[in-house]
Amino acid sequence: MSPALDHINLSSIPRVSTPEEIKVRIEAAVPGAKLTLVRQASPCGQHSLLVDHAHAVAVARFLRDDPQLRLDHVTNMAGVDWPDAVVKTKVKKMVLKEGKEVEVEETIEALRSGYLEAVYHLYSMALKHGPVILRLRTENRSDKVSVPSLTPVWRGAEFQEREAYDLYGILFAGHPDLRRILMWDEFTDHPMRKDYVEPDDYEYEPTPHDVLVDKARRHPAAGGQA
Amino acid sequence: MADLLDSPYLILVLLILGALGFALVPLGLAALWARCFSPAKPGLIKNATYECGLESKGDAWVQFHVQYYLYAIIFLIFDVETIFLLPFAVSFLQLPPGAFVAMMIFLLLLVEGLVWAWQKGVLRWK
Amino acid sequence: MDEGLRSELQKQGIFTTTLEEIYNWGRKNSVWPLGFGLACCAIEMIAASMSRWDLARFGAEVFRPSPRQADLMIVAGTVTKKMAPQVVRLYNQMPEPKYVIAMGACAISGGPFKQGYNVLKGIDRYIPVDVHIPGCPPRPEALLHAFITLQRKITEQQLTGPNRPRHLRRDAPSEFPIPEYGAHDLVPPSHPGLWRPPGLVR
Repeated sequence: MSPALDHINLSSIPRVSTPEEIKVRIEAAVPGAKLTLVRQASPCGQHSLLVDHAHAVAVARFLRDDPQLRLDHVTNMAGVDWPDAVVKTKVKKMVLKEGKEVEVEETIEALRSGYLEAVYHLYSMALKHGPVILRLRTENRSDKVSVPSLTPVWRGAEFQEREAYDLYGILFAGHPDLRRILMWDEFTDHPMRKDYVEPDDYEYEPTPHDVLVDKARRHPAAGGQA
Repeated sequence: MADLLDSPYLILVLLILGALGFALVPLGLAALWARCFSPAKPGLIKNATYECGLESKGDAWVQFHVQYYLYAIIFLIFDVETIFLLPFAVSFLQLPPGAFVAMMIFLLLLVEGLVWAWQKGVLRWK
Repeated sequence: MDEGLRSELQKQGIFTTTLEEIYNWGRKNSVWPLGFGLACCAIEMIAASMSRWDLARFGAEVFRPSPRQADLMIVAGTVTKKMAPQVVRLYNQMPEPKYVIAMGACAISGGPFKQGYNVLKGIDRYIPVDVHIPGCPPRPEALLHAFITLQRKITEQQLTGPNRPRHLRRDAPSEFPIPEYGAHDLVPPSHPGLWRPPGLVR
């Protein structure tokens, strides 16, 4: 802890911990910011805040500088690939059946176009709380893959954004040095995307299983066509 | 001939010849071995200058920032100063007062230079 | 000279040898490894060179920092595709005779990263390997075993004749082509003269 904070009684600082409260605070501080609360249904319950591109840097700067939050540390910046998918939602409906009203569950299928996400896990070293999770979403997976970079706000995100660019192909606008970090510069693919096709360059174990059975049959080592 | 054999330098000549033979015979044997058995195989990659696995890129004549030179000059001045200070300190008690005054003026001049450089912002790294 | 006469002379305190034997004996007891490690196997390699396992007993304690002075390359660890050209270039810069020990599952086959996109599936795709050691990582004893195996291999090398090793033949290559970074993979994915995909029997 910095010496300037030594005289502050930590227990006297009101903790703003739930994402709902943080959302309200951000909307009060950054006018026009469009925030969506993304609920996490699993027991960990780590809900996150989806931020729009135009206000992302302002929101990030508020989260870092706000005396009650002081989220000064990005532990983790991850990319997520959401391919095109069919989303099924169950809706309960009252249907007239044989003269009686019966409740019937109906499944509605909707096509959701894919996108990429950059997820930031923020902690506060000064106030010792976290994580607060920010999400930035690209428009699609092919040509509009840009999100604003948060490296100007948190310097620690620099290499992790480079990694997300390398492995997912997310372009970070405003990043000071956006190059590949793990793969070589001549590489053109983004290996962590769901539709990445890896080079077929290894022989298979004698007892292939799952997806490998079909692949192993095609392999030249087994006499098949590569 | 008898003069030569009697010469006290004869043993020296023999020693030199022995030393030369001791050095040259293994070298000659190694060259003979390489000629008969183990051929040399030079190559472009094998003879490359850089030996860290990476390819050398660019020119060795890299331009440095001009501030390095200012740093170097200031360092050099104070390096020379310490060289003068050491004998001055060793023989301090034997020196007349005039020498002390002269040395102080010398130090003052250098400190003046440092203050000037400081004022110019040379010590501030951008 | 036949073996009977030789052992008879040895009983009299007279030792005989051939040029080939003394040459190989000298070489096998002064194999200097190239000092570089790629992953966790390197820790075992370091342990093997320290006092507990003491690689110095075999004349191999001098880990050279430069490939020009090294005889043996111990590929200790995962060879990523980004690192492979550098490893091959270092191998090319070593003077003949040179030997390679591929240490650990990654160096011989890609190991646990075999199905990954960024790991080379065995360094034997680009350079000739003399001894392979399995293990993840192999114990220092395994490295010592590999080293003794290499020494045995050196002892059996012939000075003349059609079976003489690569470094004594004028036409045999000393440099191997360095793979280049391609758009999807290394180009070429393997050295065709050195490595063929193994046949599988199911």
